[in-house]
Amino acid sequence: MSLDGGMMDPHAFTRILFQDFPSWEVSFFYLVGFAAIGSFIYGVYREVRKYLRGVPDARVIWDYAHIKQGIVAIATHRTLVRRDPYAGMAHRAIFYGFGVLFMGTSIITLEYDITSKLFGIHYWYGDFYLWFKLAMNIAGVSLVGGLIYMMVRRGWIKPPKLDYARPDRAPDAPDYDRSNYRIEDWLFLWILVIIGVSGFVLSGARMIWLADRPEVWDIRWWSPVGAFFAYGLRALGLDAEGAVILRQLIWWSHGALALTLISLIPYTKAKHIFTAIISLVVRDPLPAQRLPKVPEGQEQIGYRFLTDMSWKQLLHLDACTKCGRCHEACPARTTGGPLSPRDVILSLRELANSALQYSAVPEQSKLAMHGTGVGQVSSETLWACRTCMACVEICPVAVEHVPIIVQMRRALVEEGDMDPLLQKTLQTIHKSGNSFGESRRKRGGWAKGLPFPVKDARKEPVDVLWFVGDYASFDPRNQKVSQAFARLMHAAGIDFGILYDGESNAGNDIRRVGEEGLYEHLAESNISAMQSADFNRVVTTDPHSFNTIKNEYPDFGGQFEIEHYTSFVMKLIEEGRLTVKKQLGHRVTFHDPCHLGRFNKGYDAPRKLLEAIGCELVEMKRCKDNSFCCGAGGGRIWVPDPVGTEKPAQNRMREAASIEGLEVYVVSCPKDLTMFEDALKTTGYEGKFVVRELLEMLEEALEINLVEAEVTA
Amino acid sequence: MKILIAIKQAIALDEDFEIRADGRDIEEDFFLPDLNEWDEYSLEEAMLIKERHADTPVEVVCVTIAPDSADEALRKCLAKGADRAIRVWDESMEGSDPVAIARALAAVAKKEAPDLFFAGVQSSDHAHGATGIAVAGFLGWAHSAVVARLDYTPGAKEVALKRELEGGLSQELRLPCPAVLTIQLGINKPRYASLRGMKLAAAKPIETLAPGDIGLATNDCGESGSLARVRRMYVPEKQRAQILAGDVAAQAKALAAIIREATGS
Ligand code: SF4
Ligand code: SF4
Repeated sequence: MSLDGGMMDPHAFTRILFQDFPSWEVSFFYLVGFAAIGSFIYGVYREVRKYLRGVPDARVIWDYAHIKQGIVAIATHRTLVRRDPYAGMAHRAIFYGFGVLFMGTSIITLEYDITSKLFGIHYWYGDFYLWFKLAMNIAGVSLVGGLIYMMVRRGWIKPPKLDYARPDRAPDAPDYDRSNYRIEDWLFLWILVIIGVSGFVLSGARMIWLADRPEVWDIRWWSPVGAFFAYGLRALGLDAEGAVILRQLIWWSHGALALTLISLIPYTKAKHIFTAIISLVVRDPLPAQRLPKVPEGQEQIGYRFLTDMSWKQLLHLDACTKCGRCHEACPARTTGGPLSPRDVILSLRELANSALQYSAVPEQSKLAMHGTGVGQVSSETLWACRTCMACVEICPVAVEHVPIIVQMRRALVEEGDMDPLLQKTLQTIHKSGNSFGESRRKRGGWAKGLPFPVKDARKEPVDVLWFVGDYASFDPRNQKVSQAFARLMHAAGIDFGILYDGESNAGNDIRRVGEEGLYEHLAESNISAMQSADFNRVVTTDPHSFNTIKNEYPDFGGQFEIEHYTSFVMKLIEEGRLTVKKQLGHRVTFHDPCHLGRFNKGYDAPRKLLEAIGCELVEMKRCKDNSFCCGAGGGRIWVPDPVGTEKPAQNRMREAASIEGLEVYVVSCPKDLTMFEDALKTTGYEGKFVVRELLEMLEEALEINLVEAEVTA
Repeated sequence: MKILIAIKQAIALDEDFEIRADGRDIEEDFFLPDLNEWDEYSLEEAMLIKERHADTPVEVVCVTIAPDSADEALRKCLAKGADRAIRVWDESMEGSDPVAIARALAAVAKKEAPDLFFAGVQSSDHAHGATGIAVAGFLGWAHSAVVARLDYTPGAKEVALKRELEGGLSQELRLPCPAVLTIQLGINKPRYASLRGMKLAAAKPIETLAPGDIGLATNDCGESGSLARVRRMYVPEKQRAQILAGDVAAQAKALAAIIREATGS
């Protein structure tokens, strides 16, 4: 029904606020309302003060593009539906339900307290009022429905990622117990559900109370849920007199709860309404790909105290909603390591809340992030991280764990608090420029095994400079792959060369270890070697080198156009410079290397290549952005995993083995080849399927050896 | 209280190295220099004494007798927390043997008057194992070699230690200070010197002295102050190994024949 052409004045169709309230009750309500707003404002002030105790963040850019991507992410809930679609949709229902209801309340307040009182303007009546009611009803259903799903999820479905079990603490540690969080979660849900439902009861009670007034009763179906409640309450025997009392009671509890919620927002998990939004807006497009550079002239590096963090990182700590997605994705956690990215964030949050929330900043010892005390992060936890970025990638609210972990490791490196083997490796790299401790002069030695000379890019100009990397240069198994790539480029007629002993370890993993000084040294030495060579573009078979040259060398003055071999070769095939001669016809699965896939979104080229050479690709459950790290990242390739626990690579082999009829486990990273060939043996799947480097399969399918024979004949 | 530590920039060799034209050393191109491994331990031991007794100020001073190419080794020590670094050199010191080096170190020790003087048991390149103890000889101080555990409170008149003997035996001693100790590997876990630490240490000064500054005459230094002189450096020819068969008498006979053949007698 509409009011058009109706008999009554549209102004009659409205809700009279505080109808029949004695004036002291109205005043009391305002008093409580102002108190709630006061509490909210003070809480916000306290939080902002806490964040501002961090240092400025040079990487935060407030421009249109950043703000837009943040708002789009929030509006679409894109980040929330990933890998947990139902929870994401339920959150969307809550978000929009809450948002609309909040806006509705604001519209009423605006009219009642401002426009009508100051300017005599009324708008909340008539058609607008009716549509408003309907919208509020839909929003209420959306809110309550979403909340009920969340309750079912917490109470019955109980996904393990929500159980708050901590891998980084013994059960008797004082901060092991997370029942406070659990209580808060349930309280938050219940408060919201009660606010939602009591709103409907209130509407129903009002309808019964004023049922004799057509301007109320006749439009009851504009609030269908309210009407439904009215019929229900009536059926339960509620008459107009009882409705007055019920209305009064519910009015106050609804109002009191709503105001309580507002007053509590900055003090509880509800603050994520704000922190998550800001976190998404200021997200860094390359959080783990491009680690922070140490500002010129800064002597102390790394994070030791909470106040070393940037304001944005302190805000991240509060943005975390404990959704557990990062906890679930983390390879260190999955294989029983003492690390959960969620708990790193929550520990530091607890520390920040106990140390930075008061009017004065306490002495430094209370701000220390490292250690085994309450809210601190232990060095075992930090060293367990493989900087695979799975956590950052999946976090729905853009928490950036990796830079925090690496910054904390920088402090550990300065203290020398690390595995002795890692220490040895770093010294070796410093001395010889590679992690194998081999002589620099032997870096290009693998090229001697080829039937054609490989150009020295330092001595003659080349079109393509091949940055080979440590593993591809020195590891005997990977040297074969390097030779295969050289033959392939040779066959395609590419004019390429390498830097021989002018090349050093690219530094990607050293930087992720936290040895920033050594990284700077390596990056600068490679950049100057590359700059003194004459070439047009760079190619590499090593995703680690690829990442740092592409994303991090520019910060040190090295701008190079670089490609990973997968996209490079794909283009050669597409351009017809290489032809697939043989369809391999294998049933394969593909392992996305962290630094190619998640870090640099190189998901498609390797898949296209596999298709081109006639392989049937069966994806593992954890693929592409959810690819499971081989365990070698962040310098962990130099530190043995503890004995007796499953290694990430072994875990991955089990996953691959569950594919029916799998023949080849395809990799496209030197470290992956090493890690998985080893894991294949130790897991006993040898003979069931093989681990192969995509390059070697390409060589077979392109029949390069044949071409080679012709060339050399 | 002060600890003086003798430091050496030791040389590891790159594979496929070449001998210098004069045949008395390796071509410098093939040098991979680094702080002598033993010195990492003696420095760490000094740092531990310094850190464990924060109430008494302890000054850790490193000294090397070498040209400026050794500055990097001193910087590493400074990066790890040494308070001062001294380098003594001029051309007259070229060709010094361990005894000449020790004479110079002793002269520095006289000037610095430390309570303890540490050196590594040996250097990882020449492995004479002589310098530290020769310093004690020049100074006439109490000394002990191959120290595997140390117990010292800054300011104390005595130092308690455990030293390694051959055959897995140990010996526990107390020495009066000042004392010269040569420190064995494994006595502690040397700390890591981060590259940034080393870069920052580059700003710290290295005191450079000439032999004259520490009261040495020219004939105290270099070849004229040395007892030994390198004549030739070479890679020994690869020899065949051979198992001699038969009873003892037959083996002895065969051995005598080999010796006769080798000596040409
Ligand atoms: S980067 Fe990888 S290993 Fe490190 S915390 Fe995140 S998910 Fe875990
Ligand atoms: S850090 Fe992000 S992904 Fe991890 S629990 Fe918190 S909100 Fe979820």
